[in-house]
Amino acid sequence: MRWALTFGLLGLTGLLGLGIFEIWPRPCFPDPDEIALAWGVENSVAAIVLGQRLWDTILEVLVYVLAMVGVRFFLAGLRWQTKLPPVAETPFFRRSADLLFGPILVFAIYVAASGHIGPGGGFPAGVIVGSGLLLLALAKGTEQLAAELYEPKLEGLEYAAVLATLVLGALVLIFGLRSATAFVAGNILIALEVAIGAWAVLHRFAAARGEV
Amino acid sequence: MEALSGLALAVALAGLGLWAMVTRRNIVWKLLGLNVASGGSILFLVALSHRPGARPAIRGLGPGPAVDPLPQALVLTAIVIHFATLALALALVIILTEHRHTQDAKRLEEEQ
Repeated sequence: MRWALTFGLLGLTGLLGLGIFEIWPRPCFPDPDEIALAWGVENSVAAIVLGQRLWDTILEVLVYVLAMVGVRFFLAGLRWQTKLPPVAETPFFRRSADLLFGPILVFAIYVAASGHIGPGGGFPAGVIVGSGLLLLALAKGTEQLAAELYEPKLEGLEYAAVLATLVLGALVLIFGLRSATAFVAGNILIALEVAIGAWAVLHRFAAARGEV
Repeated sequence: MEALSGLALAVALAGLGLWAMVTRRNIVWKLLGLNVASGGSILFLVALSHRPGARPAIRGLGPGPAVDPLPQALVLTAIVIHFATLALALALVIILTEHRHTQDAKRLEEEQ
């Protein structure tokens, strides 16, 4: 019974996919170019994410930040008792990780700031910064990186970014602000939130490895 | 054809993830299965936006119709939410393991 249900559901999903080949009638959406033009940007996906479906994005950012608060809350009590021995990476790797982090950061800022005219946006940029931090953590050790980054300040910055996103969303939703500047600001704020959240996950999971 | 192979892969991934979630007893494996299944659903949405010979959904990138940007926007949301909820679930698994010293779903149910 369970297997029949599973395969039935999967088959139904596959049937839905036949819509690609115009076997099922597709709903008629407006032209993507018109959506982008209406919001004054080039990228239709950005126009949808930060324009037409802004409620979605705001609530998504709230869910993301809530999940990160949950991770911090649940793992705060668990701390590895003994400090990890220093990472046995070569000085070459450490220096090259240090040197690489700058270009990674610049690339992330570029991706975030050009998300409205090309491929990119806040979420990929945040993940790029997060993977750069992962590289640094691999090279230096998480504890040392955490001491350098000073997490309480980062946490405050994350909440400030969430508040700024809400204010920006209110400007767009209530006062009808439609400009590319709002898109750039929104993308950079989202990148900030995603990067700090990714760092929180990385740090908490590394700090609370636990004795399993 | 690309869309069909994408869809087939998506359904296969979702099936694989569901299979792992149903048959595995370790909750970390169950979460991995959920991860794979959600990857399948994300690939499914991306494949839905495919149109033969279409250009990317960016204005001024050549002639012809653009792909449907709505599934791509949905997928952007889905990936981030998926990452956040997976992190939260793994944190809960860590807490559970600290308290109950097992990750076996069957034993966790029996001990209650």
